[in-house]
Amino acid sequence: MAAALELSHVTKRFDGHVAVRDLSLTVPAGAVYGLLGPNGAGKTTTIRMLLNVIEPDDGEIRIFGASNRTPNIIDRVGYLPEERGLYKKMQVKRVLRFLAELKGIPGKEADKRIQEWLDRFGLITAERNWGDAKVDELSRGMQQKVQFIGTLIHDPELVLLDEPFSGLDPINAQALKDTVLDLRKRGRTVIFSTHLMDNAERLCDSVCIIANGQKVLDGEVTAVRDAHSGRSVALGFLTHPSEAVVDVLRDRTLVLRADDSNRSAEVELAQGADPQVLLRRLVEAGAQLERFELVRSSLHQIFLETVGANGVEPGVIGDE
Amino acid sequence: MSRRPAGPMQKFWAVFRREYLERIQSRWYIFATIAGPVFFGSVITAPQIFTRKAHPSADVSHIIILDATRTDLGTRIAKALQGGPQSDSLPTALRPEVRSVLPAAIKSAQDAATAEIVHQGWIGYLVVDSAAMAGADVYYAGRNGSSVQDINRLTAAVRRSILAQRLEAVGLDPARIRALTDVRVEINADRITDAGRGGSAELSTIFAYLVAFTLYTMIVLYGNVILRAVVDEKSNRVAEVVVASVSPDTLLAGKVFGVSSVAVTQVLLWVVMSGIVYKTRGPLLHLFNLEIPAIPFPSITAMSVLALVAFWVLGFLCYAALFAGMGAIVTNQEDATQAALPVTMLVVLAVVLVVPTLLDPNSTIARVSSWFPFTAPIIMPVRMSVTQVSTFEVAATLVGVALACWGSTWIAARLYRVGLLMYGKRPSLRELGRWISQAS
Repeated sequence: MAAALELSHVTKRFDGHVAVRDLSLTVPAGAVYGLLGPNGAGKTTTIRMLLNVIEPDDGEIRIFGASNRTPNIIDRVGYLPEERGLYKKMQVKRVLRFLAELKGIPGKEADKRIQEWLDRFGLITAERNWGDAKVDELSRGMQQKVQFIGTLIHDPELVLLDEPFSGLDPINAQALKDTVLDLRKRGRTVIFSTHLMDNAERLCDSVCIIANGQKVLDGEVTAVRDAHSGRSVALGFLTHPSEAVVDVLRDRTLVLRADDSNRSAEVELAQGADPQVLLRRLVEAGAQLERFELVRSSLHQIFLETVGANGVEPGVIGDE
Repeated sequence: MSRRPAGPMQKFWAVFRREYLERIQSRWYIFATIAGPVFFGSVITAPQIFTRKAHPSADVSHIIILDATRTDLGTRIAKALQGGPQSDSLPTALRPEVRSVLPAAIKSAQDAATAEIVHQGWIGYLVVDSAAMAGADVYYAGRNGSSVQDINRLTAAVRRSILAQRLEAVGLDPARIRALTDVRVEINADRITDAGRGGSAELSTIFAYLVAFTLYTMIVLYGNVILRAVVDEKSNRVAEVVVASVSPDTLLAGKVFGVSSVAVTQVLLWVVMSGIVYKTRGPLLHLFNLEIPAIPFPSITAMSVLALVAFWVLGFLCYAALFAGMGAIVTNQEDATQAALPVTMLVVLAVVLVVPTLLDPNSTIARVSSWFPFTAPIIMPVRMSVTQVSTFEVAATLVGVALACWGSTWIAARLYRVGLLMYGKRPSLRELGRWISQAS
């Protein structure tokens, strides 16, 4: 399938520091793609460059095969910024119609869609049509919904969500997840940046982890997890492990680190160690095993491993 | 998919429409549009009504005349001040009092008169002596010593009286003298331009002042509206979404033109309302038992109206762009007023120069400030209303203002592009310079 988005060797410098360094990535059309990284990693800068709000110093960005500077190509993109806001004194309907018009949707068509979306998100109730209310009359949760409608009102083929889960209550977070999956079902491409790995792991087909403005790794979630898996083993014992068993776990040629909690343990294998050897040695030592499982690393672990290995701490990047 | 490709023009109109419609429908705007003329009208007419009520000014007559001429000159002046011997209309309490004094005693008489003015409600005292008879200056001291109008009346009365006195001294019949000297001519001044008679000079001044004042009010009022709109968009973070759909240049243009049109609409409505009131003033005034005053308009050519509109529009846009640029560099409303101060100072400078320009429209300061692009939109129309300005000068100044307008927009657009998504500390001048030079 053709790529919805391609970045090749994109670099952006601000006074004195490099925000994004030689970043290349490809987002397949129809995928849900996660842009992961700690705060200050360069996610928002990358997204702003995609939207042609700021220009990269080097490199090229293509959306659906065309340069992102092609007129009207950005109209096919829906964007939900991390810092959200609406015109407070404006009627909800009018704000949404304005956002739709900016994307080239004629007023009448926009009105029809606004009605559908308000209905779908429960903003039209028996007592009140919140579309007629002013934005600042709405609760925070309602405003988030309106903002989300504004992102999708023009039925974009590519949807960019910058930290979409930050500040969402659980109900809206679930609504967002449902909508993302629904978009995927309808063949739309969704890119979202986040530092919440749980959501990324559950929602994304592919991810890219960036830190310090550079790509650390990218690929399909299953492939990424496979590549980083098999190095850890979950153990369960029927009885409290004997001293001989504990000695096996202390063997540094086999085990790098063991997280022992009485009748179960999380074991990280040493470099080059074979899990089958560990199993044999444990049985030989008389361990009564209830469970021996090669664990697939979670994105969270992979994130900590890879980003941690680069010496990156959340919040310190970008300050120089 | 029912999406039509939206060019920059459609997006401009979307921004324009939002700015225009949201503002024009606000209750505050409707109130200001209706209340504005009422307010201005009362500000302009109230003092006039009060001065007219006080006319003829009794004050001028309520003075002490110290007569050291040993003639009846003092009495003559007193009569002249009361409106001549024919009309003895003033109440006794307001009549002048003539005191004959010896030349040597003038000093002490003055001191006494001063004390009476301070404590007893006299307005002033006039000293006439033999030198006055010979044609030298006379002395007047009073509470109204700085009133040009009052001093003019006094001067006329004194002159007439001295003339009558002299004529009587050479043997003319007093009755004939009175008839001959009782001349009360006032000058109605008109202005002459290359196009011929330019209408009443006084009206021209009022008109010039009105044009300058309206533009000034509009710039300050709506400049701040634009400033607030930009800062609002920034602090609300709406800017984030909007610039992802429309280029900052288009957004800036839509905003500036949208808000400007709101201002223009208001002025047009004011003009239309004034026109309606002018047309229907007959029955209206009749309601209050007032006679219909003739309101003559200063005659101005179509060309100068065109130039006036051009100055107005270009000047407004120029300042509007600057205010928008200033809005883009700050994050909150508190900083906004401060950031806009340099721009506000420019407008205030122009207004400060209005009065010197009215007094002497051809002075160096008037000429230079009517050429300087940031004061020209206010000063040039003032000069054009009160004096003859060559077509070349007007055209050259217009070109200058247009260039300044372009320059301000260019700078504002660059500040806008970089500043719109910048939050936090207000940038230093050096950083601003870098924004302007680096924005692409």
